[in-house]
Amino acid sequence: MSIASTAQFICFAALSITLVVGALGVVLLPNIVYSAFLLGGVFLSVAGLYLLLNASFVAAAQVLVYVGAVNVLILFAIMLVNKKENLAAIPGLALRRVLSGAVCAGLFALLLRVDLTTSWALPGPEPLGDEATLRIGEHLFSDYLLPFELASVLLLMSMIGAIVLARRDVLVSDVITGEPVDQGLIEKERIPLLLDRSALESSLLEKTP
Amino acid sequence: MSLELPTTIPLQAYLVLAALLFCTGVWGLINSRNAVRVLMSIELMLNGVNINLMAFSSYLDGQLIRGQVFAIFVICVAAAEAAVGLAILLSLYRNRETVDMERFNLLRW
Amino acid sequence: MTLIGAYAVVAPTITSLQLNAGAIAPEMAVLIALLACLVVDLAGEGVASRWVPPICYAGLLSALVLLALQWDAPLEPSFLGSFLADNLAVAFRAVVAGSTLLSLLISWRYVESSGTPVGEYAAILLAATLGAMFLCGSTDLISIFISLETLSVSSYLLSGYMKRDARSAEAALKYLLVGSAAAAVFLYGASLLYGLTGGGTGLDAVALALKTSETPVTALALVFVLATVAFKIAAVPFHQWTPDVYEGSPTPVVAFLSVGSKAAGFALALRLLVGCFDSFETQWKLLFTVLAILSMTLGNVVALAQTSMKRMLAYSSIGQAGFVMIGLVCGTEDGFSAMVLYMAAYLFMNLGAFACIILFSLRTGSDRISDYAGLYQKDPLITLGLSLCLLSLGGIPPMLGFFGKIYLFFAGWADHQYLLVVVGLITSVVSIYYYISVIKMMVVKEPQEASDAVKSYPDITWSVAGMPSLRTALVACVLITAVGGVLSNPLFNWASATVAGTPMLQRAIASALPVALG
Repeated sequence: MSIASTAQFICFAALSITLVVGALGVVLLPNIVYSAFLLGGVFLSVAGLYLLLNASFVAAAQVLVYVGAVNVLILFAIMLVNKKENLAAIPGLALRRVLSGAVCAGLFALLLRVDLTTSWALPGPEPLGDEATLRIGEHLFSDYLLPFELASVLLLMSMIGAIVLARRDVLVSDVITGEPVDQGLIEKERIPLLLDRSALESSLLEKTP
Repeated sequence: MSLELPTTIPLQAYLVLAALLFCTGVWGLINSRNAVRVLMSIELMLNGVNINLMAFSSYLDGQLIRGQVFAIFVICVAAAEAAVGLAILLSLYRNRETVDMERFNLLRW
Repeated sequence: MTLIGAYAVVAPTITSLQLNAGAIAPEMAVLIALLACLVVDLAGEGVASRWVPPICYAGLLSALVLLALQWDAPLEPSFLGSFLADNLAVAFRAVVAGSTLLSLLISWRYVESSGTPVGEYAAILLAATLGAMFLCGSTDLISIFISLETLSVSSYLLSGYMKRDARSAEAALKYLLVGSAAAAVFLYGASLLYGLTGGGTGLDAVALALKTSETPVTALALVFVLATVAFKIAAVPFHQWTPDVYEGSPTPVVAFLSVGSKAAGFALALRLLVGCFDSFETQWKLLFTVLAILSMTLGNVVALAQTSMKRMLAYSSIGQAGFVMIGLVCGTEDGFSAMVLYMAAYLFMNLGAFACIILFSLRTGSDRISDYAGLYQKDPLITLGLSLCLLSLGGIPPMLGFFGKIYLFFAGWADHQYLLVVVGLITSVVSIYYYISVIKMMVVKEPQEASDAVKSYPDITWSVAGMPSLRTALVACVLITAVGGVLSNPLFNWASATVAGTPMLQRAIASALPVALG
């Protein structure tokens, strides 16, 4: 075994261990801030895997977009909504976790079987290596032009929509009639999904007298 | 000095890793009580898919690398989805002051 | 040198690429309207509320005209195989554009009186339309994914548009989480398909690869992809998001989601299942038979117990999707054209019902079914319109919905899908029961039995901006629903021309024929 392939194996093993441990940490750790940082680790090790797969451009995109943007966004969101909440205990939670764990293990076994038994069309053509960036550009401007352009509409809309939803101000009066507006007024009798019943009844009691 | 890729690490190794990441994401999706963590679990699932795509692209489609283009699109959409998701979460948090998923009753009639 | 060599691999000569971009001209019209809305919105809310509606009408109407021009045009794949404007795509895109046009007509007053910006609302709805229209014609996994996500992300934003109302944000969050998970599952299936083809993302490449591979991987990919389709058309058991999202979202948005988004979902189902998974026909037909039976049963039975009008329509839409699936399972010429016909009929009757509900909630601020008691004395227009649309949804003879439904059942019976047709007939009777009970509530009650909402019913005025367009949409939908049934011949011809002008469907019919004979 050459030094190059040994190094590759070691890198792959290290990256996969980081990946799996990080992913488990993301879903299992009680503190959400740790989870968010571990998620960054997962993103980084996925980028490392892309480097092993000769895809430097996608690895760079992964680091820039996922670590640089998505992960930072998630951290900001955690800071903004990070109120200490005493989560009400749910009966049978542990049982549910074990059951869903079994379901996911079954799903994993199924995927494993499919991955290992399928005869993929190996070996494929020689990988491009560093010319991949060039080829991606050609794809984006030839056969994937339509999704590329549509993705720009998607990004524009999600940007505008996110701003509209996240900013605080709402118009106070109807532009046409000048009457004050109230979004709850259009359809009254709306019992919120998130409030539990006891809180709702108490709030109703406060209003009635 | 050339990094000889094929034959050394089998394709299946990447696929198994992707499946593991995907299933971890699914478990987190079902069990997380914090809405932010649910979003993180979805990101895990998408990353699993991306590893799949990249592995196929490198091993089976080395010349045309459509999988890499697909992965870039997935990354782009995931970013958009995360932004929208967190905006909705913020707007909800202002109204309800909670991110506890258990206050949804997902299986209501 | 390497550069030229690389070009030679991707496409022989990049200068002579035939984009055939005329196929997406209708989408371009929608896109221009979208950008114009955003620009006009910069000038302030007053200017926007004046100019955004005409811009949207112009964009959508020209899209419809351009679609009509594409009808029966010579077929050439455009964008190097990303998009195909066959008659199926044209028909479903027309349904999507029509549903957006009608939803916009009924939404101005609602949006204004909720104090949310009109320009952005129209822009996001148009973006959702754009995604849905592209989804109807996409023939490539990446294009399907991106257009699906454009539709979905815009729908999440629209569901959460009433940000002062906690239910709206809750509905949006729930929709987003379930929808993103469904998208991830679809992607996993797509990645397996990509691996199976050994590097192709076009649906024809996938279909070719599926013909030669019999491994479990295809079954898994089928289930994953099918789950996403079922999520989009809200088939039981992938329906759980529907009632909550429909109840929490702004009503005009629900009108769009229940017709436009669902039509795009059915177009996707046809393209994926008929065009791509045709070598697994027995398997997916079995799965869809189960989904159809569950949807018809659960949707129509649970709708009986609802007290909220929107929630009842949500469950009824689940049931209606089950009826449409009968046509999909048949896979015959009649089955496909019955699907197209029923989607078109559903567009008018469902949006007519939504127009009435919005009008009622604008005037009284309620959508409880019991608040409709005794409405006919105060507001005959809503009573008449809602009654006709609900009768049509239930499939009562002279209406448009009856002909659509009977055509579906006829196609199912001719294809020996007896179980499906029997379940469909029984659940239709159930659905007639709850539709009639709403009508009974409005018409039969004595004046003293009228609900408080009706007793304090405001005077009917149509002068406020946004109301005339709502009335136009309501009257148009109700007229087409009522008269369209008698004069439904053009619709029948249109539906069968759709199927005749779609090579993909013709191939499926031709391959199914020997089985049917034998």
